[in-house]
Amino acid sequence: MMETKIFVVKTQVGQEENVANMFEKAAKRIDNKIVAVLAPKELRGYIFVEGYDIDVIKKLIRHMKYAKDVLEKDVKIEEIEHFLFPPSAVANIEEGMIVELVSGPFKGEKAKVTRIDDAKEEITVELLDSMVPIPITVRGEQVRVLKKKEDE
Amino acid sequence: MRACRRCHILTDKTTCPYCGEPTSEHWQGYLVVVKPEESIIAEKMKIKMPGKYALKVR
Repeated sequence: MMETKIFVVKTQVGQEENVANMFEKAAKRIDNKIVAVLAPKELRGYIFVEGYDIDVIKKLIRHMKYAKDVLEKDVKIEEIEHFLFPPSAVANIEEGMIVELVSGPFKGEKAKVTRIDDAKEEITVELLDSMVPIPITVRGEQVRVLKKKEDE
Repeated sequence: MRACRRCHILTDKTTCPYCGEPTSEHWQGYLVVVKPEESIIAEKMKIKMPGKYALKVR
């Protein structure tokens, strides 16, 4: 059987899932010459379409409102493998680290990590400038690591 | 849409219709598999069934 190739399709930002669904519908019409479509969260404005022929994809996107273009060069699976298994949001965070909150009501505040919940990808922090230590639980993506440990 | 915590398939139900695990509304990344037997992406993800999947489920 012929090997599939992975093509990069440019989409309108925010319409990645929509375009992926359009490819799925189209795949059924064209005898499944498209075998999979990947829209990683980290990549805005691009999706990966796995199929056999770039010309088929070119033809399809002509009728898709939110798909803009397809890159001539295909990508190898090794190049996109890291998108398939996104790391945990708390992977680089340890207890005792000093972090800055980057979103939410405490945006800009510095805090010390007191607990990490791997399953929920949440961390509990205590604000450094707070008079009384109040534990706040936030999502792992909501913080940026400033210092490895308080004493380092 | 919700995603199964074990097999990552997307569904509207609170328990996965395929493996019975609870589903979660917190998921990221979107993968549509049309022909799993021909797809390298599906092979890497160990997906055997066509459908829509999440890449990460919390």
